Amino acid sequence: MSEAKHTARERAIARRYVWQMLALLALYIIILYVSIHALQTGHYSPVFRDLIAVTPVIPLAGVLASVIQFMLSVDELQRQIHLEALAIAAGVTAALAITYSFLEGVGLPHSQAWWAFACVDLTWALALPFVRRRYE
Amino acid sequence: MKNRIRVLRAEHEWSQAEVAERLGIARQTINALETGKYAPSLPLAFKISKLFSLPVEQIFDPNSVEE
Repeated sequence: MSEAKHTARERAIARRYVWQMLALLALYIIILYVSIHALQTGHYSPVFRDLIAVTPVIPLAGVLASVIQFMLSVDELQRQIHLEALAIAAGVTAALAITYSFLEGVGLPHSQAWWAFACVDLTWALALPFVRRRYE
Repeated sequence: MKNRIRVLRAEHEWSQAEVAERLGIARQTINALETGKYAPSLPLAFKISKLFSLPVEQIFDPNSVEE
């Protein structure tokens, strides 16, 4: 009989994390759609307009809380692996940001900062298998 | 860090997953400990010691620690 790759506890932590992320992604899409629609159709004071514009940050704060909860749920080695991958992701994102800022200086279009969030997520996921391999 | 976890696990006829469940850690972590790729924290070392009912120094080889 082949041995289970993950324990029941690991599967439960992963399941909770995935469901939280899916729920927050759905909430993000809804809030983003509603806020864009509200900004395009209504007339608001500058302060209220700014508040509506930042409402999509609410589910993103939930993402941060969910990541922290995940990090605190896993064991010390798994946490170390994720933090090493996250450090690589932060470094890659910072390097890309500064590289593109130099390119902006010579005429490339101004970029919006939201890509940094996606870049950290993507490079975190890409770095994980490489970091894991060091401990296998 | 060299250790006797794999031998002790075999003596108890436990799988890596069983030991991982008992310690509340991932199976990959047990594997990394057994292969010496990862040195545990002091609290985890004491949990392992308690699980096998042996002193820490009888499970982990202090002479194998890299300077």
